[in-house]
Amino acid sequence: MNKDIQVSISNKDDVSILNIKGDVTAITGETLEEAYQKVSTAGAKKILLYFDKDGYINSGGIAILIGIASESRKKEQRIRITGLSSHFQKIFDMVGLTKYTEIIPTEELALKDF
Amino acid sequence: MNTDKNIELHIPSVMGYEKIAMECAASMAKKMGFTEDRIEDLKTAVAEACLNAIEHGNKMDTSSKVGITLTAEESRLQVSVKDEGKGIDKIPTPSIENKIKGEDKPRGWGIFLIKSLVNEVTFEARPEGGNVTKMVIYLEK
Repeated sequence: MNKDIQVSISNKDDVSILNIKGDVTAITGETLEEAYQKVSTAGAKKILLYFDKDGYINSGGIAILIGIASESRKKEQRIRITGLSSHFQKIFDMVGLTKYTEIIPTEELALKDF
Repeated sequence: MNTDKNIELHIPSVMGYEKIAMECAASMAKKMGFTEDRIEDLKTAVAEACLNAIEHGNKMDTSSKVGITLTAEESRLQVSVKDEGKGIDKIPTPSIENKIKGEDKPRGWGIFLIKSLVNEVTFEARPEGGNVTKMVIYLEK
């Protein structure tokens, strides 16, 4: 277990929520990937990635998220993202992740009409 | 009168230590009066340059160091990141479409992010060996 990231899983109706605290990097990404695979194997079709607004995300972490977005398309899952700082919302948009995931301002809004 | 201010630091070629360089650059930028948004841009660019130096330049050889130099001028901040490696191959512009389709590996965003976030960037081989990435951000009044 990597101490620089904690990912907990919760559910709200038919939405699986991955609560992500800490750093999202090439090193910590395995923890996030494992959590995604766990909910995916359980049959999740709606997945909310809830980030820590003070967390650090680098290009290695972005690659992990692209991998998740790629796999979600094959599995016909929808991915929403919330909790990001405005800086990382901009970064996600720059790399094009917003074409494949939705960034929503709050958890409440992210869960609504999902 | 030379009003340039220089700070130099060295970090080990170990992933994670780029955060020290990020915070140092952020402190210098804050002292100079950069906005919070611009400081965040600089932090990400410095992180990516350091990660490239650690992983690709120094091949994560823990006996090699990454050198970071911060030079504050009146209206700009330059950050140079040096490694001891042999240079990087030309990196094509990443395409998320290709990566989502599985035609490209998901990684490869570092240089793209650096170019997108700073005002100027150059990638040079050093005469004494190794590479240097020089990034400049402008202080906008």
